[in-house]
Amino acid sequence: MGETRKKTKPKASDDEASATGGLASPHAFSLHLACGLSLAAALWIAGAGGESVDLVSDPSRTLRLVWVIECPIAILLYSLARERPAQTSYIRAVVRGALALPAGAMVNALGAIALGAPVGTQYLAKTINWSLVMSTWIVVPAACVFGASWNSWQRIFAFTKPISSIDFMICLPAHGAIIGAWFGAWPMPLDWERPWQEWPICVSYGAMIGYLVGMVASLGFILLRHGHDHVKID
Amino acid sequence: MKWRLTWVFWATTALHVAAIAIFTRGFLLTRTELPFHSGCSDVAGSPCAPRPGAAGPNGTGGSERCWTKPAVDRVVIVVLDALRFDFVAPSALFKETKPWMDRLPVLQKLAFREGSSAKIFKAIADPPTTSLQRLKGLTTGGLPTFVDVGNSFGAPAITEDNLINQLVQNGKRVLMMGDDTWVQLFPHHFKRSYPFPSFNVKDLHTVDNGCIDNLLPSLYQEDWDVLIAHFLGVDHAGHIFGVDSLPMIEKLEQYNTVLENVISVLESQSGPGGLHENTFLLVLGDHGQTLNGDHGGGSAEEVETSIFAMSFKKPPSAIPSELDISCEYTLDERFCISSIQQLDFAVTVSALLGIPFPFGSIGRVNPELYALAGGTWNMEELKADKPEHDLKSAEWLHNYVNVLCINAWQVKRYIDIYSASSLIGFSSDDLVHVANLYAEAEATFAQKMDPLSYNSEHIKLSTLKRQINAYFRFLASVAELARSKWTEFNLTFMGIGLGMMLVSLLVHVLAIKMVNELHNGSFNPSGNSGISFGLIYAFFIVVIRACSLLSNSYILEEGKVANFLLATAGVAKIRYSIIKRKMIFEACLFLILICLLRFTIEIGLSKQAATSAFLHSSTSWMIGIDFNHPVLVYILQLLPMLALIGLAYLLYKSTADGSSQRICRIVVMGTIASYVLIVVHWASESNMLGLAQINAARNVIPRIIYAIGIGQMLLLAFSQLCNGSTVDNRSLFSKTVSMLSAWSPTVTILSGKQGPLITLASILGGYCIVMLQNIEEESDGTAKPSVVNPLSVTEWSLLALSMFFCTGHWCAFDGLRYGAAFIGFDEFVLIRQAILLTIETFGFSHIIPVFGLPFLVLRRKLFAQKELLVQLSLAYMMFGLIMAATVTVTILCVMIQRRHLMVWGLFAPKFVFDVAGLVLTDVLICLASLYYFCRPEDHRLEINTSRR
Repeated sequence: MGETRKKTKPKASDDEASATGGLASPHAFSLHLACGLSLAAALWIAGAGGESVDLVSDPSRTLRLVWVIECPIAILLYSLARERPAQTSYIRAVVRGALALPAGAMVNALGAIALGAPVGTQYLAKTINWSLVMSTWIVVPAACVFGASWNSWQRIFAFTKPISSIDFMICLPAHGAIIGAWFGAWPMPLDWERPWQEWPICVSYGAMIGYLVGMVASLGFILLRHGHDHVKID
Repeated sequence: MKWRLTWVFWATTALHVAAIAIFTRGFLLTRTELPFHSGCSDVAGSPCAPRPGAAGPNGTGGSERCWTKPAVDRVVIVVLDALRFDFVAPSALFKETKPWMDRLPVLQKLAFREGSSAKIFKAIADPPTTSLQRLKGLTTGGLPTFVDVGNSFGAPAITEDNLINQLVQNGKRVLMMGDDTWVQLFPHHFKRSYPFPSFNVKDLHTVDNGCIDNLLPSLYQEDWDVLIAHFLGVDHAGHIFGVDSLPMIEKLEQYNTVLENVISVLESQSGPGGLHENTFLLVLGDHGQTLNGDHGGGSAEEVETSIFAMSFKKPPSAIPSELDISCEYTLDERFCISSIQQLDFAVTVSALLGIPFPFGSIGRVNPELYALAGGTWNMEELKADKPEHDLKSAEWLHNYVNVLCINAWQVKRYIDIYSASSLIGFSSDDLVHVANLYAEAEATFAQKMDPLSYNSEHIKLSTLKRQINAYFRFLASVAELARSKWTEFNLTFMGIGLGMMLVSLLVHVLAIKMVNELHNGSFNPSGNSGISFGLIYAFFIVVIRACSLLSNSYILEEGKVANFLLATAGVAKIRYSIIKRKMIFEACLFLILICLLRFTIEIGLSKQAATSAFLHSSTSWMIGIDFNHPVLVYILQLLPMLALIGLAYLLYKSTADGSSQRICRIVVMGTIASYVLIVVHWASESNMLGLAQINAARNVIPRIIYAIGIGQMLLLAFSQLCNGSTVDNRSLFSKTVSMLSAWSPTVTILSGKQGPLITLASILGGYCIVMLQNIEEESDGTAKPSVVNPLSVTEWSLLALSMFFCTGHWCAFDGLRYGAAFIGFDEFVLIRQAILLTIETFGFSHIIPVFGLPFLVLRRKLFAQKELLVQLSLAYMMFGLIMAATVTVTILCVMIQRRHLMVWGLFAPKFVFDVAGLVLTDVLICLASLYYFCRPEDHRLEINTSRR
């Protein structure tokens, strides 16, 4: 389900991107922790608190809970780490993130359908909620941080060449989610007749695992770079 | 030079054909169906022709007698699908008592009652244990294989001689109810039938309730001689819930009630003069099932089923104790259950009813089953005058010997005629062995039956037993021979075949390496490592697709898997086009096209036969579109014609710039004329323009189109022979265009209305692949001509695969569109119709892609003229390698899964389609190499001089 590569129109180049966005590792850690915790909280609320559903029994409600809870947190936090904070107001970054959510969901949904996601009225809600979740994980952080900077988008999603800490924090979880979702689709045709083989349950699980692995990996990279920088400074 | 580039095509073709031939010999067991039928009068030719007095001292029978003396008048056959042996047998027979045991207590009670004339047998079926094959086996008494040569074109009806056919021939009236497979197998045989649809596995009750509603009333009627009731609930319950489940137990309990009712009705009418005075009840399973409810393979759980037999003749008969009958004792040694081969069913029932044995039966008349009813008439006669046990037994044995004599003669006749007339008969050693055994048995029979010595009182029991054993030996050796021929895989052959495929892969890879080095060495001495992202990605896709073939689920969804991988490649292309900031339009177009293909594949899936195993992949998205709306119908009819006109225009444009050769222009004009003819043909077919349908002219247009196609082909071949111009971009382009345009009208008209649309999609897809092929390589900025992109070739082959599924095909024999074979022809000629069917099946997926492959090379303007050929041969090698790699994995998977329950339903058809596709691709690549590669020239020298 890797389809978020084409995004927004090209704009003025801003090569100072690499200079900014140097996020300290404690900040990066707390940002990821907040996103991870909000995901866990959403799943917990779905299961234990009140609704008592999970991904298998009611994927569309659970996924809706996930993006409803995680998306604001992600928008608010990533907007803090926006590029060129001097030129871009916080509010503007938040609005960018909010606008990117449906746009990214659209791209995700189209990609999923091209790859074979079922189409039909009974799948409509599931597909919409799934793509909103994917958008929250993949597109929203980048939109908050980079805005409409075509070069940054291209660097992250086409070249996969993250430079700064924030690049890593956006790039790795997003790619993890995409690759995880791609692999998550493979058990679907098997004839095990398990409820979780339905669209989009196992794809969501795959994406979730990929996303979490990506977060951990990006933290690892940031720590590694940090240590490296220290060594260099010494 | 030419041979340096093309030898590998011929070598791999030869290797593939040899490997496939050897593997198929070991795997696809084939049997020839003989068209002969047994008749009443045939028995006169046997050494055991019934003569007065031979059947018994009283010499009854005579006139009304056919092969054997009828022992029963009516037979009730209740088939319980997938009846495991332990459903019927008492749980004391097994180490552990399971919840599903002892759920049919009525059968056990009757079978083990003192002095009862009922008995439970363990029936051993032969694989493949699928219902259709088993029903065929039960009725023909043979061993149906996966490929029964001589099958009628598409229809499953049994054409071999069989029990039902014999019943009808001999004036018995057959009543059938339950599973509608019977009606497919025997479309014209039943006097009355109540078929119920069996395709919905999730439906546990329709067939069973239909049976129950009709069964009991029918028992009171007189208008049938043989009643068949086929219950499906247990099979379906097993498939869905497994054996250890509540629905299964409920089903078994329901059957117990039904059987209780049936037996009580039969018993109540079995008095003297009653309706069922001489009725025989058989309750049997066609095959067993595993605990998961699967069947098809040859494991003990699957082949072990059960037969319950009960005679309502009074008084009950006893089985002569003289026969050495081995049986399996229960743990407490109270009951003994003997085994019976399912093979013996047809002949035993025939013997009981006194009809000729089916011609192809190789079973033997089972002594115990035969004695249950067949023993009875002697009992009464004997009770009157000679109540001695010995004599009674002797009489019975004597009669049984006579039956066996006919039995053995019939089997010998079949074996002789089979080996004389089938393509692959038995080996002569085996035949001699069998013939010896038969001769031995016959010799003693003739001696014994010598009229001078014939006297029933003097025939010793031991002589009779010796005679019976001689016949048993003969029949057993025939059955063993037949089993080894028709049910056992030959692992050695399979291994050799697989090994040869692997060797061919190695040859392919080495050849690619060699040609690549030749190419690199000529002008790129520094050489890059050759391992690009494209290569890794292509390799990954091919490997993952190959691995997916190891599971039956992915084979079912193969079209979607191919589409998924193709879409993944498309997404990767979008990524590159974003990096390069160009050709984004083409990349998106490609993805949209894939999306459309995906929907077309789903429509194709929904068209599958209702009984197909592939159906469960539901088409979720087709919601309430009424395809019969008049406007929609009109559009659907008009659209293909518009597409055809567009195609014609496209073709005209491609050659109109005057640069192409004259021959190419002539061919294209012919194709455009063919397109016009197709439009006229369809218009007249659908009565659109008010053109009256002229019956005689219906076939004319397709025939003209075929003729034009053949003419174009001949023209191209002829021009190739006499015109050896050097290859350059332009001439290769016009050659490719003319080749494709020569094929396309034939393929289009065979594919029907979808043809032009699919052609357009192929052109569009091919165009996108060609445009996007170099997108990732030019990143270095240096415009170095590199080898043909493996990823593009992979995409090309995936697109071809998608086309196969888009055109509504799937890898099963019911996926063949037999109708296409009769476009333009009414009468059936095997070779002609087979060629048309092949073109229809593989047209868009093999023929067009293989001949269109040069487009991949053409795009690269940077290639020197001679370089083109190297690139082209590389492209063909890669295409062939991808194909061969996939087929090799299919072969490996078939070999691993040869005992899988779906082997005959799924893996074997897949194997046949893949292998046919591979051989076709190989042959086409060879032809293409003849066509596209020009006269041998010293190529390398020229490259070196031109580059330096």
